[in-house]
Amino acid sequence: MSIADDARFGSRQPGRGLRVEGLQVAYGGVPAVRGIDLEVKAGEAVGLIGPNGAGKSSTLLGIMGAIARSGRVLVDGQDLAGLPPEKVVRRGVALVPEGRHVFAELSVADNLRLGAVARRDRTGYSEAMEHVLTLFPMLRDFGHRQAGLLSGGQQQQLAIGRALMSDPDILLLDEPSLGLSPTAVDTVFEALDVIRAAGKAVLVVEQRAEFTIAFCDRTFVLHDGEITLTLKPQDAEKVDVLTKAYFG
Amino acid sequence: MTGQLIQSLVDALSAGATLGLAALSIGLVFGVIRLANFAQAEIITASAYCLIFTWELGWFIAVPLSILVAVAMSLLMEFTVFSRMRSANPATLLIASFGLSFLLQRVYELMFSNNVRTAPVASGLAQTVEFAGVRIQLLSVATIVIAGLLLLGLHLFLTRTSMGLQLKAAAADFRTARLIGIPAGRVIALSFALSGILAAAVAFVLTVQSGAVGPTFGVQITILALVGAVIGGIDKISGSLAGGFLVGFVTSMLATWLPQEMSNFKDAYVFVLVIGVLLFRPSGLLIKGRGVART
Repeated sequence: MSIADDARFGSRQPGRGLRVEGLQVAYGGVPAVRGIDLEVKAGEAVGLIGPNGAGKSSTLLGIMGAIARSGRVLVDGQDLAGLPPEKVVRRGVALVPEGRHVFAELSVADNLRLGAVARRDRTGYSEAMEHVLTLFPMLRDFGHRQAGLLSGGQQQQLAIGRALMSDPDILLLDEPSLGLSPTAVDTVFEALDVIRAAGKAVLVVEQRAEFTIAFCDRTFVLHDGEITLTLKPQDAEKVDVLTKAYFG
Repeated sequence: MTGQLIQSLVDALSAGATLGLAALSIGLVFGVIRLANFAQAEIITASAYCLIFTWELGWFIAVPLSILVAVAMSLLMEFTVFSRMRSANPATLLIASFGLSFLLQRVYELMFSNNVRTAPVASGLAQTVEFAGVRIQLLSVATIVIAGLLLLGLHLFLTRTSMGLQLKAAAADFRTARLIGIPAGRVIALSFALSGILAAAVAFVLTVQSGAVGPTFGVQITILALVGAVIGGIDKISGSLAGGFLVGFVTSMLATWLPQEMSNFKDAYVFVLVIGVLLFRPSGLLIKGRGVART
């Protein structure tokens, strides 16, 4: 049985999605995200693309409660207003941060263990670990290695595995392909496909527009903190659509 | 000559161990919330006062009580002052800790007067024993043993327990630790509590050494501990420990081996060392550079 076949994949009750309504984020009075709405259903991957400074990462950090925000972030109908990141994780939202940010001096196994700190159940730990190690067999082989000694692609797998250990319903990824070789990017997105198929809601911020549009069920284009366009997978090869998306 | 060398080495190891613990107590908190807590001095002082005032009740009461006082004071500082300044930058936090330090010194003056308070705390350890022709102070050996046991305990805690692992992760990258669900408040409180335990150990050693405690009792060692932490790399738990040890060891050796007219300036030599480190290794001797991520 593959991981994709296993509907549980660490999830207690598949079917919880994310809804964002009127999300606004500002830095020192300068708006970075200007009231965006988006929804990611369970078993769906949604992309967020746009030029540098468009507000993509701020959107994810706003959802996580890592920066001050206004608007509503709903998981299973419940508003996450005012919750700090550690409590947002406990509501079933996990972030794979930009630049991976694995704990370089800790072992691979310890990084994964830390990912499980926010689990709401204690019983599913071994099962979740097994799922992650099946999804990324490399992590099993390098369990005792210092995370900082892994290659970029391997660190990205570890960062995703660590996020999955918290048993999220919603997985947010900030530029998972950043700085990776094409092969490593393929590995990461194949894993994301499995995660989506297992019923998780996936929201991925990316710079690789064509790749993201083709992979995601829907992709939003963000410009100056606002969603300006919604694209479908079939738009991926339409150069004029992509040009419009980035240059208006 | 060999006897004197061994004796000075044991003393230097002991001084290094004490300062290493003091620097570690500062580095533990700095790693998590970027606070170089100068008021650590007053935690040491409070713990030392407790030893002085309760020693006649028996060590089995005085020692646990002094640890309790240090941990309670450390946590009280966090909950009443520093937790309200979470978004402040490290410089502001440092200045706040200076303010808190001076305030507490005045409070100690009001409570216990400017005069030192004395008690024969563990006076048995102040004795000197002769072993194979070498005269060694029992306190030096006890200090090395205490520091060794504490470091072993801390190492096991940080590597074998979930809470320890969370603390290590938070000290390495606090923002990411929160983003993966590590509870910030709990980890910060833990770092303050552990820092308090280390401060109590330092207070014990210093109180046995001097037998007298005044309002500024912990200031001198805290300044040197901060210096040590910066030399080793305050950003890293092991850096603080090693830096503190180095400063204590070198200061002690200089005091022993420099000619009398020069040894009065031993602290000055240490600060020359600090200037050198800040010029050539500003992140600290043990910090290799940030981020080992490869692509």
